[in-house]
Amino acid sequence: MSRLEMFLLVATIANVAIVLEFVRRRKLLESFALLWLGVGAGLVVLALARPLVDRFAEAIGVTYGPTLVLALGIFFLMFVAMSLSLHVSRLEDRVEILAEEVAFLRGLRTPADVLDE
Amino acid sequence: MPALNEEATVGDVVRGARARLQCDVLVVDDGSSDATAATARAAGAHVLQHPFNLGVGAALRSGFRIAADRGYESVVQLDADGQHDADEAMKLLERLDTGSFDIVIGSRFEAGYQAGRVRRLSMRMLARILSRRLGVRVTDTTSGFRAFGKRAIEQFARSYPTAYLSDTVEALLLAADWGFAVAEEPVRMHERQGGRPSATGAKSAFHFIRLLLVLVLHRVRRPLTRRGGLPDVEA
Repeated sequence: MSRLEMFLLVATIANVAIVLEFVRRRKLLESFALLWLGVGAGLVVLALARPLVDRFAEAIGVTYGPTLVLALGIFFLMFVAMSLSLHVSRLEDRVEILAEEVAFLRGLRTPADVLDE
Repeated sequence: MPALNEEATVGDVVRGARARLQCDVLVVDDGSSDATAATARAAGAHVLQHPFNLGVGAALRSGFRIAADRGYESVVQLDADGQHDADEAMKLLERLDTGSFDIVIGSRFEAGYQAGRVRRLSMRMLARILSRRLGVRVTDTTSGFRAFGKRAIEQFARSYPTAYLSDTVEALLLAADWGFAVAEEPVRMHERQGGRPSATGAKSAFHFIRLLLVLVLHRVRRPLTRRGGLPDVEA
């Protein structure tokens, strides 16, 4: 096992450990955790199956295996950025709706009312 | 009764429950875009409307909070699409009372529930894991037809898992943590009288995998509480 492979393996294990710890502390939604655990699994494959990567690269016409890995990495990050954008957009919609609802409730109750009870 | 776009059926279900059970009916409209809330209200239910869709678990938590605040002794959760029968709900409540259970699950299996092979297999797996944690045999861990006693109402008003499928399965893990007495009662089910199923195959599969993660990590995780907490529940 080359030094690079060792490094990738350690990095992957660290990644998985960190994700699981966030889930344990309930800081990270389980759905997102699955995404990052999937990344971890993918990295293990890349770390331990270098010939597989090379063969796959050759099959789709990429002459140098590592370029393919980089390209896949970039695609994946774009995918993550896109899905996070979608999430943020949805949250923004919801905040607007909530703010409206709060505005209506405020119509019934002013800050001064809090002390009057 | 959590409801999402069930205007076609919710009226009949509310009237059925009111007539047969002689109880208060709360419909939690979880962000419907149709006339679910108005229909339920017209049928004599109390209605709570979420500003947008938050999921069945969140609808249940809202319901539990109201029930806890009002000091209800027991509640029954049932679907608004007409699958659950009011007479069967009565059976769940009777079982809850006679056995002084905290939760009684209405099981579809013992009464000939039909499901695909993959679904059946995954449900059996969940049933085995949860039976072990709960110390009693349960078969239908994802049933949304359940009765809850006072202790369960008060706990669940404070923390209830809201993710899809967690509202049924993870809730049972919490029940096991708190040492609740859980029982299962076979129930007859009707065909859904309207509306659409809540999930497609891909979504179920994803959430099943997510659930496995939940099940594995549950014991070492921080307890599920809402950040900021809730006001104390008073009787």
